[in-house]
This record gives sequence, C-alpha cells and structure tokens, in this order.
Amino acid sequence: MAWETVIGLEVHVQLRTRTKMFCGNRTTFGDPPNTNVCPVCLGLPGALPVPNAEAIRLAVRGAIALGCTVHETSVFARKNYFYPDLPKGYQISQFDRPLATGGSVTFESPDRGRMKVGITRLHVEEDAGKLLHDRVPGKTAVDLNRAGTPLAEIVSEPDLRSPAEARAYLTTLRQILIYAGVSDCSMEQGSLRVDANLSIRPTGVEKLGTKTEVKNMNSFANVERALEAERERQVVLVESGRRVEQVTLLFNAGTGQVKPTRSKEESHDYRYFPDPDLPPLVLTPKWIAEQRAALPELPEAKRERLERVYALSATDTRALTAEAPLARYFESVVDAGADPKTAANWVMGDVMSSYNESGSFPVSPSRLAALIGLVRDGVVSHQAAKRLFSELAKSDEEAPRAAAERLGLVQVSEGNALRGWVDEVLAANPAEVTRFRQGEIKLMSFFVGQVMKKSRGKADPKGVQPVLQERLAQVK
Amino acid sequence: MTATAGQRGIGATTARETAKRLADAASLNATLSWSEELLDAEGARVDGMNKPGPLAGIPIALKDNIVTVEQPTTCGSRILEGYVSPYNATVVERLRAAGALIAAKTNLDEFAMGSSTEHSAFGRVKNPLDPSRVPGGSSGGSAALVAAGVVPVALGSETGGSVRQPASFCGVVGVKPSYGRVSRYGLVAFGSSLDCISVFGRTVDDAAPVLSTISGPDALDATTVARPPLGLPKALPNLAGMTFGLPKEYFPPDLDAGVAAALRRTTEMIKQLGGSVREVSLPNSVYAVPTYYIIAPAEAAANLARYDGVRYGQRRVGPEGDIRALYRTTRGEGFGEEVRRRILVGTYVLSAGYYDAYYRKAQRVRALIAEDFRRVFQDVDLLLTPTTPTPAFKAGEKTEDPVAMYLADVFVCSMSLAGLPALSLPVGRSNGLPIGAQIVAPYFEEERMLSAARILEQNTDALAEVR
Amino acid sequence: MSIGLEDVLHVAKLAELAVRESELSRLVDQMNRIVDYVATLDQVPADGTAQGFVAGPDAVVLREDVEAAVPLAFPPSAMAPEFAQGFFLVPRHGAMEDQ
Repeated sequence: MAWETVIGLEVHVQLRTRTKMFCGNRTTFGDPPNTNVCPVCLGLPGALPVPNAEAIRLAVRGAIALGCTVHETSVFARKNYFYPDLPKGYQISQFDRPLATGGSVTFESPDRGRMKVGITRLHVEEDAGKLLHDRVPGKTAVDLNRAGTPLAEIVSEPDLRSPAEARAYLTTLRQILIYAGVSDCSMEQGSLRVDANLSIRPTGVEKLGTKTEVKNMNSFANVERALEAERERQVVLVESGRRVEQVTLLFNAGTGQVKPTRSKEESHDYRYFPDPDLPPLVLTPKWIAEQRAALPELPEAKRERLERVYALSATDTRALTAEAPLARYFESVVDAGADPKTAANWVMGDVMSSYNESGSFPVSPSRLAALIGLVRDGVVSHQAAKRLFSELAKSDEEAPRAAAERLGLVQVSEGNALRGWVDEVLAANPAEVTRFRQGEIKLMSFFVGQVMKKSRGKADPKGVQPVLQERLAQVK
Repeated sequence: MTATAGQRGIGATTARETAKRLADAASLNATLSWSEELLDAEGARVDGMNKPGPLAGIPIALKDNIVTVEQPTTCGSRILEGYVSPYNATVVERLRAAGALIAAKTNLDEFAMGSSTEHSAFGRVKNPLDPSRVPGGSSGGSAALVAAGVVPVALGSETGGSVRQPASFCGVVGVKPSYGRVSRYGLVAFGSSLDCISVFGRTVDDAAPVLSTISGPDALDATTVARPPLGLPKALPNLAGMTFGLPKEYFPPDLDAGVAAALRRTTEMIKQLGGSVREVSLPNSVYAVPTYYIIAPAEAAANLARYDGVRYGQRRVGPEGDIRALYRTTRGEGFGEEVRRRILVGTYVLSAGYYDAYYRKAQRVRALIAEDFRRVFQDVDLLLTPTTPTPAFKAGEKTEDPVAMYLADVFVCSMSLAGLPALSLPVGRSNGLPIGAQIVAPYFEEERMLSAARILEQNTDALAEVR
Repeated sequence: MSIGLEDVLHVAKLAELAVRESELSRLVDQMNRIVDYVATLDQVPADGTAQGFVAGPDAVVLREDVEAAVPLAFPPSAMAPEFAQGFFLVPRHGAMEDQ
C-alpha cells in the first residue's frame, strides 16, 4: 500500500518588540525569574490588557510579507483553559476574526521543486510563562517573565507532503520573517516554535486521515526527524489493522521517537469568545499601506533582482540571499566598484566563512572592493589576495594596497626585475629556447612557469608573457 | 459638605469622626476592613497635601472589589481572604490626589454577584432602616454606610444594577455612569462589558463631584472612552423644556402599590416643575434579565479563572495532591454557592454546542435592547422608571430560588446592557421603607441626568410616606 | 433544554470546580431552573442584527512600545501561597508534565 503523507505546520514567532503584548514590561531573555512582571501579566485581580502598537505593526508586516490579506477589523478573543503557566486562566488570542488570512510561501521542495504552500492565517496572541519541572523536588516551578510576550501564530494549509518538504518550508518561512524584521526566529532562544499536524492516506484517496499533533521539536532537523517517526508510527498502526487516534505526541530528541502525552483528557473545549476588555482592532488602508512600504526587499524579490541586474545564476543568488546581512554586504561591495560576479564569488567564499563563524564582517565592503580591484589590475595574484583577506580581517585600519606592499605580495608585471627573471630563465634553458624558435610555441607556458618559480610567485603572469615574447623574438 | 481648602487639620478631624461612626455602625456588618491607624494615616496624608483638591477631607468608603495597597481586598470571598493588592485602582489614585480619605472597604455579595449582599462569605449586611431587611446588592455595604450617615459618599460597582438597586432600598442616591466613563483598572472584574464603578451619595451634590473626580480616560483601561472628564451638574431653576419618557414595560399593572404611588408623585412633581412626560415603549426590555444572566456569567466564568491558588489568595490541595486537585479544591471550597453557580452557568453557555444558542443569541438581543433606547431618546431627553419592583425585602426571602433573586434587577438591568448612565433618587417611603425613582440618560449625557435629578431632589420630600 | 448530572459534572470539570456529592442534585435542579429561564431568549427572532453590541470605544487604542510597567508595591513572593528560589511553586504530579 502506498501512503501519502499530509502535513500542516503551526509556527509561533516572538515579535521583535521591546515590551510585552498587553503591558509595559520588558521582553528581555534571561532575567531573574518573576522580575519582569506587573499586575497585568501576573493576572492580578483588577488588571486590564492594553495592546502594543509595535507588535501589531510587526505582525501586519509579517502578514504582508507572507502575501496575506490583512483585515481592517480583527477581534481579540479569550482562549479558556487552566494551566500553571497561564496566569489569567485564559490566553488572549484571536479566533474567528484574525488579523490576516490567505497568504502563501514559495519555496524549493526537495521532492517537488519550486512550489507554493498556502498560509491559512496569521494572528497575534500573548505567550504563556515558563514551567520548570526539575527545579524544586516534587514541585513545578513557574516563571512568568515570559507571560504576555507578543507572538504571531502562522498556520499553513496542509499542503506539505513529506518531512523533508516541511523542513524546507520552515527554512524559507524563517528567512522571510527575518528579512521582514518581524522576529529573530531562533529556535534555540525560543523565539520560534513549531507544532506539526500529520496524517496519512492511501495515495489517490482524497479523504484525509485522522491527524495527530506533534510537539516538542527544538530544531528544523528535529522537526524532520519527528515527522519521519510519526509517519512511520501511523503507517505501522494502519497496516496492522488498527486506527490512528487523534492524540498529541511529544518528540524525544534523544531517542528520536514520538510518544503520546500522558494526558488522556478529551480534546480541549476552549470556549472562545471576544475579549470584552479589548475593543476591535481597526486598521486603516493607509496605515496598512505604510507597513507595506516599510518592508525591506524580501528574499524572493531580491534574488530575482540580483539575477536580473547582475547577471548571476539562481544558485549564486540563493547563496547570497540566504541571510539578509550577506545580501546587503554583497551589494555594498558592488556599489564600491567591484565586478558583480567576482564579488559574488568572494562573498560566497571567504566572506561567508568568516560571517558564519563570527557573525560579523571584519573586512568592510569598500576594502574588499579595493582588494578585488588590485587583483583585477594585476597588482596582486588571486592567491595573494586570499592571504591578504585574512590579513585585512585582523584590523580595519590598513588599506589593501598598503598591506600588499607590507607583505611583499605586490606582483611585478613590468620593469627591470621582470626582465631580469626572464633573461635568467632563458639563459638557463637554451635547449627549450631553440625548440621554441623552431616552432614549439607551446613551450611558452613552460617559460612562464619557470619565471613564476624564479620570482617566487611575485611575477604577474600577464606581464611575463609579453616580455618573454619580446626576448624570444630578439635573440638570434 | 465640601471642605474648605487650606483648613489645616480637617484630615485629622475627619479621620477621628469617621472612626467613631464606623465603630458605632459595626452591627450593620457593612465593612470588611477599616482601622483607626489607617484612618489617621489618611488624615495626616490629606493634611500634608500642598494643594488640597476638590474632595479635600471627604471620607469615602470603597466596595471591597476595588483594589487598594493599604487595605486588603477580599471581594467578600474566602478565596481572597487576606489578599493585599500591590497596586491601587486608578479611581483610588484619583480620589487620593483630590484629597479624599479612604475610610473603609465595604461588604458586598461575593465577587459582586448578587442583589442583596446575603452572599458574602463574611456575613450579610443589614439595612440601616430595618436590620431584618437587606440593603440590596451587590454593593450593600457601601449603600448602608451612606444611609447610616457614616460617610457622605461611597464607591460601589454595577454590573446589572448593583448600585442603583441598593440605593433605592437604602434611601440614598446611587449613580451609574456610562460604560467607559470611569476606569475599571483595579476593579476586580465580574462582567467586563458591563462593570461600572459607581457612586453613592446622601445627595446628588455629594455624589456628583466624586463621579467627576474619578471619571476620564485611562491609558491602563482600553475600554475607557477618550472624552473629557465629567463636569458638575447645572443648577437648573426648573425642568422647563425637559421631556421625560415613561416606558410602559416598567410600569406593570401588578407593580407594588407603594412604588407605583411614589412614581406617580414624582411624575406630578416633574410636571409642576415645568417638564413634560409621555409614555414610550422599550419592548425588548422584557428580555433584559435573561440576556444579562447569559452574558454576565459567561464573562465572569472567564474572569474568575485566575483564582486558582497558584500566585495569590488562599490555596487548598485535595487528596490526590496534584495540580488539578489544587485547582478544584481551592476553587470548590474558596468560592461560595452563588459564585460557583454562576461560573457553572457561564461555562455552560460558552461551551461547545451551546455558544450560538446562548451567548451569541444574548449578544444579539442585547443589541436590540440598546437599539430600543437609542430610538426612544430621539423623542425624549430622559427616562423615568421605578428603580426596584418592591422596597427592601426581608433577609432570607429570596435566597432559595436564584431566579427570584435575579428578578430584583428587572428595572435596572437593561441600562447596564446598553451601557447607559442611570441613577436612583430617593423619592418617598412606603411603610417606612425607602423607594427610589430611576432616571436614565443617553450615552455620555450624565450631566443632563444629574441636573434634572438635583432639582427634583430639592423639590421632593424623600422621607414622606407616599400613601 | 434539560441539563443532566453528566452535563453538570462535565462543566464543573471544564471550570475546575470540585462539586460535593451532597450538593450535586440541588445544583442540577438550580442549573436547570436558570438555563430554562434564560432560554426564554429563544422567543426572540434570530435575524437582522448580525452583530452583538458593546458600549465603549469602537476601536482599541494601542499603546507605544516603551517600558512603562505599573510598579508593584511589593514583589510576587509576598503574595504567593508557595514561593522559593524566585519561582511560584505548584504540585508536580498529574497530567501536566509532558508539555
């Protein structure tokens, strides 16, 4: 039996604001527990929520970046349930009138190539606090610093057909949201969380199978592993004649397995209703247009433009736009006068290595452009330039030309030194000279090589050849 | 009674006098916390103010669902026994800045759910005019203190009439502002789309400056309306040019004879003062009480979910010893019967399969009720109705049947649903028990309502028997 | 509409309220009384007015993203039933742990 896998993803991202969604506490990470709290996020009697304008701005920008329709009127709703990390006994979220609906993400699926996944909705809500189970023996410890942090929830249509595809979608989604400045999207720091829904059905059948929910995946790689495990579990179940139950499973990164949660309670009845403490959120078309205008160029558009304007390949532009700072750096180098293709190669090579390691650009775009110029002008060889790059990375004071001279890497492309080396080589290889003159012109490369050796790499090959030609023609 | 600015020692004097009066009125069980030390501290604070404000030296009692740092806030419930709030309600900050002395926290129906103040975990409040009767509720403690002359003004809260109704039962003025006029930040939430902090006063002139002081937008409450604070009522010479509508649904044929007589007398007085009256109709008012008893419990069920024994308040853990046992026992034992009933009803009407039939339907009916008022106010300036169907009933009379208790709010409930300002004015006595007349104004037209009430009050002998 | 024992127990569970055996049947009666009463709204035609009504502002006013939390007169530790090492504490066991 051939099975088709159907996957939908729910992603929660923390919006890059200074303060919480409904109160003026800081959202910084790592402060002592229960110190960034106030009556509102502690759920004290009498406290009331007031929404954060920047959170709405960022959520709207995220929605626009994902091609969604932003609704001019949306409504905050209470999602009611009891849990120790939920101070009010309800979460303020959005239910049947969310901020945005109907977008899509275009990405490269490893299975099906370039494809689109629908975005069902994007809405805003507040985060819950944190629970620590091992802090005090026999107790659960509650820290409400995180309670009230602004989140955007992004729900995809169940358009994904494999765990690997799900991972690729996540990579692109994350990239778009980082470009848009909406969130840091770091799973390690908890500013991006993923919950997955998975079901299977026989290939060709339209009816969806029972879906399960998979949680507790802390990296995109683990999302893929978890979904592989869950798909396997469901296939085994069904093929042995049993049914898939609608359960929630937790992924265990250590074992690579998924296990149903111990909670056997029925699915939650959240009893959603519009939050009476919050009038409707009303956005004007003009304001929405301002958010659209405030969006930087997004990855897809940037790739397309780089390909067009700089005549780069799709592979190149994908690498260059993998992260917004890299793309910005590349364009600055070109603006400073470097040839685009050369600049691209440098950025994808040495620059990217150092950026991935340090997260910064030790060599400024103008210095790199200058370095590229030196190579273009034959002042240094490409080999020498690579060595110069590391040198320039050590401090930002020295100009490339000066560094080249200091290290003795300046190529000699003319002058007495060059003529001297040529004469020495020709004198040392009389037999080859005779053969050349008799017509073995391919010996030119031998002579060039010898001159390079004699000059210990300092000779500029481009300058050597004419001098050799001249000399070889002269001797009679 | 207005304080003269700059009179040194008025705070200290008021503190001492109020302490004596509070002590003398202890049998009413109207207060949940007060102390001489705190009163003296309040007096000293007021005397130390550079620029005493418009309420300088006036003692004011607060219903115990308004949070204060200096006094505990229990909401009349065991679940909050001993709870002290780490912040003050906005209204408290505004009162203190105006020079008022916070005198005491008053007894109430638990979490403001009730119409008789018999549902407090700390005992019922007695009506000062007849201790065997209820003072009304849920703000019974505040009403009783003003009626007993302990303080000239007090704050209560309304969700479905909980200040107007006790005002009527106790023979004092009770003013509910428009929804969104006064900040709810620091009012323990019951029905968020209905809750209004409201004012009791011996007279309109006592209550109006307090309402004016506490009103105005608050950045901490997103449901306050961005309009300027309320001014003081005008001193009208008569009611010439004012038309009062009498909605026929509020004058049923079986209305208590004393109440009917009092309203007849008030109507006559309006005409004598040059106003006119006409009959109007608010047909959807008959659905107000059931509508209210869907919406208010639903919002309350969510608002009271935070009382879970985790972060504050009393905690009790059941035998299983786990987190669920903590929740269920804390709440099951900490909440009284009426509160538990309302939480269950509220949870029921929001639950899967019932939301459309109950909650959503109730919100639609609410819109019809509000529309009735809008339509009627195109033709009249104010409305006049009885505040309550009867004078104060005996303690224990209505506690058996929850619905019988709900019906005590039949005349005051619809204004809460529509968010309108309304007040109760004492207009007479029936067998010694006070009767209140209700005046209702359009949204944000409190000044019109207070001005009319003022001149009516001056021309009415509220202590006179009506028959 | 009739509410049975199961309904009341279910709702009590959703609301995390322990219900005593002794009060159960009275509670069922009272709930039925109340719900039958409020169901008089069935008489109102369900048409026309699509929206509900709430007084107050038509649109929410947003607050700027600046640090401005209401200060607490005393810290959480002073209010908490159980507090240690900076955390609120609750019992551990139960169907909570996995999440």
